[in-house]
Amino acid sequence: MLFRSRLQLISLMLPATLLLAVLTLYPISQILINAFSYVDYAGAERQFVGLDNFAELIDDWFFIGAVENTLVFSVMASFVQVGLGLLLAVLFDREFPVKRFALPIVIYPMMLSTLVCSAIWRAWYHYDFGFLNNALVSLGLSPVEWLFDPSLALFSVMLVDVWQWTPMSFLIILAGLQSVPADIKDAALTDGASGWRRFRYITLPLVMPQILLALLLRSIDTFKLFDKVYALTGGGPGNSTSTLSLFIYKQGFKFFNLGLASAGALMMLLIACLLSAVYAWRYVGAKS
Amino acid sequence: MLKHSSLTLALTASMALGAAAVQAADLVIAGRDGIYGKALEESVARYQAAHPDMDIELLKLPYGSLYEKLVISMRENAGAYDLVMIDDTWATEFMSNGWLANLEEQSGITGDFITAALDISRYPVGQGPAYSLPVVGNVAMFTYNKSLFKEFGLTRPDNWEAVKTAAKTISAKNNGTTGVVFRGQKGNPIVTGFLPLFWAHGGVIVDDGGKAHVNSDQGVQALESFLELKQYAPRGVEVYNSTEVRDAIQQRKAAMAIEVWPSWVPSMDDPDQSKVVREMEVIAAPGQVKGSSPMLGIWQMGVATDAKHDKAAREFLEFLTSAENQKQLAIDLGLPPTRRSVYTDADVVAKYRWYPNQLDALEHGKPRPRIERWNEVESILGDYLQLAMIGELDARTALDQANRKIDRALKR
Repeated sequence: MLFRSRLQLISLMLPATLLLAVLTLYPISQILINAFSYVDYAGAERQFVGLDNFAELIDDWFFIGAVENTLVFSVMASFVQVGLGLLLAVLFDREFPVKRFALPIVIYPMMLSTLVCSAIWRAWYHYDFGFLNNALVSLGLSPVEWLFDPSLALFSVMLVDVWQWTPMSFLIILAGLQSVPADIKDAALTDGASGWRRFRYITLPLVMPQILLALLLRSIDTFKLFDKVYALTGGGPGNSTSTLSLFIYKQGFKFFNLGLASAGALMMLLIACLLSAVYAWRYVGAKS
Repeated sequence: MLKHSSLTLALTASMALGAAAVQAADLVIAGRDGIYGKALEESVARYQAAHPDMDIELLKLPYGSLYEKLVISMRENAGAYDLVMIDDTWATEFMSNGWLANLEEQSGITGDFITAALDISRYPVGQGPAYSLPVVGNVAMFTYNKSLFKEFGLTRPDNWEAVKTAAKTISAKNNGTTGVVFRGQKGNPIVTGFLPLFWAHGGVIVDDGGKAHVNSDQGVQALESFLELKQYAPRGVEVYNSTEVRDAIQQRKAAMAIEVWPSWVPSMDDPDQSKVVREMEVIAAPGQVKGSSPMLGIWQMGVATDAKHDKAAREFLEFLTSAENQKQLAIDLGLPPTRRSVYTDADVVAKYRWYPNQLDALEHGKPRPRIERWNEVESILGDYLQLAMIGELDARTALDQANRKIDRALKR
């Protein structure tokens, strides 16, 4: 037995538990209080306003736009990244000549800082001087308004995220693929199952927990999208790339509207919990 | 076990010593990064040469981070900083909350500070005592390519109608140069680009009664002119920030820029970076129904009310804003001075040909509204200006909606 008594176990765990509780519970309780208050941060005043902050947010076209953008971005970017990650993982699960050299190249974007990624892509997206439009023009095509066409800007930001974070899904799924027992694959081969049927009915169900895990992790991360938007578009043009995190940051740290920021954060937490619950439920189901 | 305890003790001791070192500084300065940080660093080095025993802690922070840290420190009365650098738009909030010390309590302000720049260091503005001193004489200037203007038979644009005509003429030639460029990114950039037009047309953001007034007929006319200029700007101007504006001018992709800041100008004359060396004329922004209204972007420094080294902070501030130090900073780094005598100094003018025009712009400069919630008001206006810019709203609707939202923010 590792611990001599229950008391010893509790006394060892208590300091860390208390510290964690204070560091977690205090901010959460402040957010809860602030969400239902008008807070004058500079004047150190707080006044209970009931649901006014929530009503103001729901009435705010920019907030609703930010919620929509965040959901679209989170769902689409996560599925694209996991889809591409799966394709790459299937490819890298086989042997091919330059595999040793290709693997580091594929995971390289994930190692870059997001601000560096954003700076690179902002230069590539430049309408007049950017690499992408130069390539399109040299092929005889028209240049594209990557970052300033409101209907395209969110997808341009998404492309950067896909470029940077697909490797993460790829690595998670590859780990799953490599843990599939070879005898199951061999048995299917012996039974004469084609490549597609082996993948569809044997490999895919066996790596489903890893796929769902990758989806869950990417959804959580993409739902918090802030830095790429901040560096690439600042939330524009118009409101087309504004996200919940950016909206809350502006309210909280630029304007010190702590009431509105807290109400926004609470709503964001609620949506994130709902999304995570769906994935977690599917994940547990897939595992069992 | 002993080894672990020693390691823990050593770590704790080093952290405590580190904290003590921060506490032990004779003066703690919170300033900006970039050129402003370099200027502070250079000034600190010069000051320390004369005061070798003095330990000065200089923090160089990005714009947003500086604001957050200052507000939190001063609101919590933490006394973390002695001397603080602030954007002039933060001044009302800092001064009205009593976060900055009165600099005229002990003696008056001496020297030849440019009046418009010193006025916004006072609270109430222009009348009360000074709570800060202007340290960077930033003012939004207008620039046009005089070679191109000559080629097209155009004269110096004195009003915004002339700017539109020139932009149209140059763009019509379709030779790879657009008529005009500005910062169109939402938030501070687009508002900064728009304000010289808005003011020149007679627009007012907040009236004397403290109510939002951006949707006046003058405001709408100004926005319509701004939107008209977009036709003659490079594609993608909606997301242009300072880098793109500079590139467009320096690569001759645009003949005029609504807004250039003093620190951008030297690179226009640098043959390694620019195709328009000595071609750009830098002048005060054109007028319209009102005279020229260049926007002031003064950086100020003040002594924190909760400063632990008040005397040292005041003495360093006096040195920092002295004519000798400003001249040196202008020559070494191109930092725009705030004293008249430096702008007329022969050595300085020999290096920066546009300084007489810059002084003129500063003298006629207009500060952004002196309201506590300017950050939020600017952001709201910037959001709606951009919606108009990308065609989602017309000028009148954009300004009506902005006005409603600004009013709500001002009432909070």
